[in-house]
Amino acid sequence: MVDSILQFDGISKSFFGVRALEDVTFALRKGHLLGLIGENGAGKTTLMNVLAGVLAPDSGAMKLRGAEYAPRRPADATTAGIAFIHQELNLFTNLSIADNLFIDRFPRLGRSPFINRAAARRQTVGLLQSLNLQLSPETLVDRLTPGERQLVEIAKALSTGAEIIIFDEPTTSLTAAETQRLFRIIRDLREQGKSTIYISHNLGDVLELADDVVVLRDGRLVDAGPARDFTMDRMISRMVGRAIDQIFPTRESKPSHEAVLNVKGLSQAGIVKDIHLTLHKGQVLGLFGLMGSGRTELARMLFGLEPFEQGELLINGVPCRRTCAGDSIRRGMAFVTENRREEGLLMEATVVDNVGLVALPAFAIGRFPRLLRHRRLNDAVARIVEAMRIKSGPVARTLAKDLSGGNQQKVVLGKWLLSRPAIFLMDEPTRGIDVGAKYEVYTIINDLAAQGAGILLISSELEELMGLCDRILVMSKGEITGSFERSEFAQEPILHAAFKGHQRVPQSRESSGRAGGR
Amino acid sequence: MLVTTLRHTPLILFVVIFLLFGWLSPRFLSYQSFENVVKQASYIGIAAVGMTFVLLTAGIDLSIGSNMYLSAIVAGLLIKNYGLPAPLALVVCLGVGLLFGVVNALIVTRLRIIPFVATLATLWVGRGLGLWLTESTEVEFPESVTRIGSQRWLGIPLPVVIFAVVVLCAFVLLRWTALGRQVYAVGNDIEAAKKAGIDTARVRGTAFILCGVLAALGGFISVAQLGTVNAGFGKDREFDAIAAAVLGGTSLFGGIGSVFPGTVLGAILIQMVTIGLVSAQVDLYLQPLVAAGIIFVAVLLDGLRTQQLARLSRRRIRVEEMTAPWDSGMVPELRRG
Amino acid sequence: MAVTRVSRVSSLPSGKAFGVARRILLAENFVLYLSIVFFAGLCLFMPYIASGRNLANLSSNMWPLLALVLGQMFVLILGGIDLSQTSIMALTSVAGAMLMTTRLDPALFAKSPLWGLLLSADGSPISGTLLAVPLGIAAMLLVGTSVGFLNGLAVAKFRMPAFMVTLVSMMFFSGLAIYLTKSENIMYLPDGYTRIGSGGIGPVPWSLLVVLVLAVASHVVLRHTVLGQWFFAVGKSVRTSVVSGVPTGRVIVVGYALSGFCAAVASILYSARLAGGRPTLGQNLLLDVIGAAVIGGISLFGGKGKVLWALFGVLFFVLLSNSLSMLALPFYAEPVVKGAVILLAALLDVTRTRLLAREAIA
Repeated sequence: MVDSILQFDGISKSFFGVRALEDVTFALRKGHLLGLIGENGAGKTTLMNVLAGVLAPDSGAMKLRGAEYAPRRPADATTAGIAFIHQELNLFTNLSIADNLFIDRFPRLGRSPFINRAAARRQTVGLLQSLNLQLSPETLVDRLTPGERQLVEIAKALSTGAEIIIFDEPTTSLTAAETQRLFRIIRDLREQGKSTIYISHNLGDVLELADDVVVLRDGRLVDAGPARDFTMDRMISRMVGRAIDQIFPTRESKPSHEAVLNVKGLSQAGIVKDIHLTLHKGQVLGLFGLMGSGRTELARMLFGLEPFEQGELLINGVPCRRTCAGDSIRRGMAFVTENRREEGLLMEATVVDNVGLVALPAFAIGRFPRLLRHRRLNDAVARIVEAMRIKSGPVARTLAKDLSGGNQQKVVLGKWLLSRPAIFLMDEPTRGIDVGAKYEVYTIINDLAAQGAGILLISSELEELMGLCDRILVMSKGEITGSFERSEFAQEPILHAAFKGHQRVPQSRESSGRAGGR
Repeated sequence: MLVTTLRHTPLILFVVIFLLFGWLSPRFLSYQSFENVVKQASYIGIAAVGMTFVLLTAGIDLSIGSNMYLSAIVAGLLIKNYGLPAPLALVVCLGVGLLFGVVNALIVTRLRIIPFVATLATLWVGRGLGLWLTESTEVEFPESVTRIGSQRWLGIPLPVVIFAVVVLCAFVLLRWTALGRQVYAVGNDIEAAKKAGIDTARVRGTAFILCGVLAALGGFISVAQLGTVNAGFGKDREFDAIAAAVLGGTSLFGGIGSVFPGTVLGAILIQMVTIGLVSAQVDLYLQPLVAAGIIFVAVLLDGLRTQQLARLSRRRIRVEEMTAPWDSGMVPELRRG
Repeated sequence: MAVTRVSRVSSLPSGKAFGVARRILLAENFVLYLSIVFFAGLCLFMPYIASGRNLANLSSNMWPLLALVLGQMFVLILGGIDLSQTSIMALTSVAGAMLMTTRLDPALFAKSPLWGLLLSADGSPISGTLLAVPLGIAAMLLVGTSVGFLNGLAVAKFRMPAFMVTLVSMMFFSGLAIYLTKSENIMYLPDGYTRIGSGGIGPVPWSLLVVLVLAVASHVVLRHTVLGQWFFAVGKSVRTSVVSGVPTGRVIVVGYALSGFCAAVASILYSARLAGGRPTLGQNLLLDVIGAAVIGGISLFGGKGKVLWALFGVLFFVLLSNSLSMLALPFYAEPVVKGAVILLAALLDVTRTRLLAREAIA
């Protein structure tokens, strides 16, 4: 009889009449890992905020180790032994690891206000070693990779004596190796008796790690059970509330032979080397590779945001050199970057202002000054919002920061669509959005290809690429190491190419092309 | 090599300017001259140290000029009308500065008004109050106070000693106390600081209070050298303090900076430029132009330095260091056999 | 086991009276209403305030200040700040005066570096000619815009913080103005020019007309042109603007150039009224400009601003100054009241933001 360390009983919470959580009841067993999944808006964040003491539930109660647990503020949760590892890490980049760990509870020299640096350092070293992190405690967090920073956050959680650790989308910025390191540590934590809640859109990871799974939909708990009883299909269908026949819409159109983008011998020392690629009209060309392989850098060079030393770039047969974003846009290119919050959206601007941003000059008359035709612009924006099914309040007043991740991404796509580009560069377009929204984005990509646009799709999710693309290029360490036509798609050889140039080249083994896992 | 050079730009700039003025006017290189520079720099240096605290928390204090004025005249009037002895006058002066800082702190943390606007308001109100109390007349200070300006301690001018003590205390505070580290944390990411359990209101408030006290102290030191306070005393000094801090490497956006060597170098540098120009017998009317030009170059270099450093550290493209994809779990069904 | 707790979101009192107050508070034109109420209140106590003479006085103070605030507005929307506006005023005042003056006293100006080159006892090479005034004005506008252009270049190209760039600019150009004139005022300006300060078309003074045109033009630029939208975009996120094809460098330079231009316009008006070129023109105005902008509601963080807000802010500010001097309060009351007012304005803004945020969640 395994006892539960944390119990949620009938938790409900509404905001101004909108039900965010309704009668959620489940338990986290001690020493177990519980995977919490659900679409954006399903209530996962709200539930965690209740647990953390940021929000108070309208009704229902929580029990921690059998006793009533009702935190009034985040500090209460920390004292109770609950730690959160959020997607946006709460580390101070201008301070050392040791300072970060002890920022609110420095060991003192006796009763003086002075910090006992030796003690802090000692404890930090101990914690880092337990996580197998070979770093000096004086290292500035600024110089750490996202993976290392995350481990520092875990170290911080452990240093406060946390018994329950909640991971919220931990693998978004991690390399494959860092992800495995994280999983190893999570498993070690479990061995040590810590209990974990793991929240992720990456269903394969959840299946791999979890002992139990809980599915939320529209604020309600719609499914729960041991992980071994769950399959991908069951998870997805419970999350969206309908049977999903397929994750990817069928590709019907075929690429033409006309090339829209030609890249020859593109090189930039230390970043990319001798890149050749051709993108055709109506083609979805995938670009796969591990983190650091140079994919994003290549895309930025193609778009003109970064310079390149050698090579040629032809758009519709016309050579281009030393462009800037404006030039690329004028030549019919679009670039959906991998971080929409910083480079894709004006968070404090309305949906209308965001969607209209790129195509503004097209809705103006005159040369100097260029007067805007507001009505035309607003109509065009309204059409896009409707076509893409962007869910938001009145578009002229709703700010981008108030939209969900999926809708934000659609706004970014809509912005580019308005200028009707012939070439799309998309960098991780489905990162951080839920399954339902992902499907919609895939549909949009399909439609774009059917209408004749050429799409260069960068993604770290191989199944995604295999489901959408006509051809996949593989990059490793700045070079193209493989090219696969749709008929040749198979996980193993593609991965092979992605690891080329790294240490041990893996031996061939049986492969399965099942879409699932990472 | 490049990185080390870039990281120590303020120091290198300092040396370069020092040598430049020394070459233009050999008189400048004497100990006497250098001592004079540091002595003159003391009063704004002390205020700049206070400003550094506020800047580190990503705030700004535009009111220190009015603060200097108000605290100085309150002390001065008490001496004049009630015969208050000099040491007590100093305490009163610091007390007024403290109060000024407390008001700033409350407006920023309780009323949630941004520092720029809050200290703009107290700049005005403070100056107005001061003018009211003095009725715009000049306040003279007796010899008991001005003696401080010329006294020495172990051969070093008293203002410099006080400056050094302030710098030492500030340095220790920032480096060796929890509050000091939290100042850096709050300036880096205030939301993360709140989540980490730091009382951000207390940290920011303390920065303003320290700034207030140190501004008053700096003002007092200046008065000790001038002997009198007129209606324009302290005007625009906040910009000098900010310039000194920024030249010393403090970022206007918070989280980056130091009192030593940083702000100290910045304050002395500015004074060095001012006095150096006099030494080199540059046309009086040209001096502000040259000074502005030098500060511009210094800030430009600082900006370029930050950009270069960022670019250099970003060059290391994060490469996968892992081995077989089986370990990496990329094909889990294979691992599960 | 129901647990009910007071929600952590602080609740504001409800009720009818509060509802009305809330609506007024949230009104876009709140500062305007406030100004009207304030003016009406003053009229009761001081009927003189509504007299033609006083209104003319109010007006002549308002327009040049508005010109400055309009310029600052562009820069604030970009997320920057222009501390050099007042020194641009000083420099342009001096530059224009030097070209237009009909007489320079050698005793005062012989030491000026331009003596013998451009200046002589009879003024400049073009003084006295028909071209003097138009060229003088053109030169002022050119100088102002050029300084602004340089500011913008430093901010955009060298990525230097706007605060420091314009601070240094302020030091340099006011120093330059003083250097060129050896700190002396340039008098004996031609009537053609000084008439701008006192005359007008019928009862409507030139300064009102000029600044009205400027205001309308600014409004059109901000709301109805691509450039205006770009200002807001850059102020909200430079990175996103870059990726979206906005020519951010150019936009920033234009913003600061406009600020310099507006400062030059203000200088033309002030100098005409004072009938002289002053190297210390506008020395204490900077904080008034920023204060008026803040009171009007223009955000110091960038991305927000309206010509109407600038107008209301200046209106209220000038009303305040005017009423203070009318009340025959000692002059030191003015800074105290200004400080209190800007605090109140900021407080109101904070309250409004919080109210609006709560509405958005609903």
